[in-house]
Amino acid sequence: MVLLKLCWLLIVINSLTIGGGFVMLPMLQKEFVEKNHWLTNQEFLDAIAIGQLTPGPLTVMNAVIGYKVSGLIGAVLAMVSSYLPCIIIVTIVAKYYYDYRESIIVQSSFKGIKPAVIGLLSAVAISLGNTALVDPLTFGIAIISFAVIAFTKTDPSFVIVGAGILGAVLL
Amino acid sequence: MEDKITVKDIFWKFLKIGSFSFGGVYSMLAFFERELVEKEKWLTHEEFVESVAIGQMTPGPPIVNTGICIGYRLKRIKGALATTAGQSFTGTVLAILLAVFYVKSKGNVLLTSVMKGVGAAVVGLLLSIIFKMAKTTIRDYKAALFALTAFFALALFKLNPISLILASGIIGLLVYGRRT
Repeated sequence: MVLLKLCWLLIVINSLTIGGGFVMLPMLQKEFVEKNHWLTNQEFLDAIAIGQLTPGPLTVMNAVIGYKVSGLIGAVLAMVSSYLPCIIIVTIVAKYYYDYRESIIVQSSFKGIKPAVIGLLSAVAISLGNTALVDPLTFGIAIISFAVIAFTKTDPSFVIVGAGILGAVLL
Repeated sequence: MEDKITVKDIFWKFLKIGSFSFGGVYSMLAFFERELVEKEKWLTHEEFVESVAIGQMTPGPPIVNTGICIGYRLKRIKGALATTAGQSFTGTVLAILLAVFYVKSKGNVLLTSVMKGVGAAVVGLLLSIIFKMAKTTIRDYKAALFALTAFFALALFKLNPISLILASGIIGLLVYGRRT
């Protein structure tokens, strides 16, 4: 039952991830952390970090969540469920690209979803910040990471590794 | 040309692309183009650009979706499956290994401190993503209103983000959907 629920939720969430992998986060946090208690806010943060460190898209973090929920089978099924909607939707769109691109329905609904997602992500950032930023040092690491990623071309993976080393030495 | 490409070729090529895909979207797309358009000549520059556009306007990770689109062009559904499997193989295996390690060393003092630093960096990363998205997306008061409403609906009223995304799509349709 748990596996079925995991797969179903990931299929729904990935079908609605419009505008980049980070769009998953508000939905993942609500369903997996708050509603089903399959992982804690800290574990959710760690899953994001692993998804960011490994090559490929952030979606890989769903393998970590799947593993946490029900081991190796959970991890594999989580990845299959995450990519299934992509394969179905992309192949359909590839066939009808010109109709799709010009579609008023697609364009105008995306125009509403994209800014809304920014609001949702901001709420998630506050909730994760409450968990992760507990003292001046963690605050400092967050501010430096923000500045480095937002204003330089540094790969976020380096920033995460650097912060891990800083954590080992200082925290 | 396209007849000679096998599903196996596609899988190996995307395994290579997926294994070295650190870094941002733009460096990734440049890598795609070099491997697929310039080296292998599997598709033309125009086809590539179109695949990137499709990858960006479909749900899911844009890079994987671009790959799916290219695979589908080359070998239909088998090609699409080969690109997805190839592109995600290395990342998924590494993530599972890290997850095993992470679960096994739960409570380890050193790992706890490392993850405290990492968690703080993830919050910074998330803020920078929000900042970059806001710069390109929030260009008028309507967009700002969408963002603010969604923020309060989740942060204060704890509404479900799945419903909120669906609702903002429907409201977007009502607000922007009229033909002009």
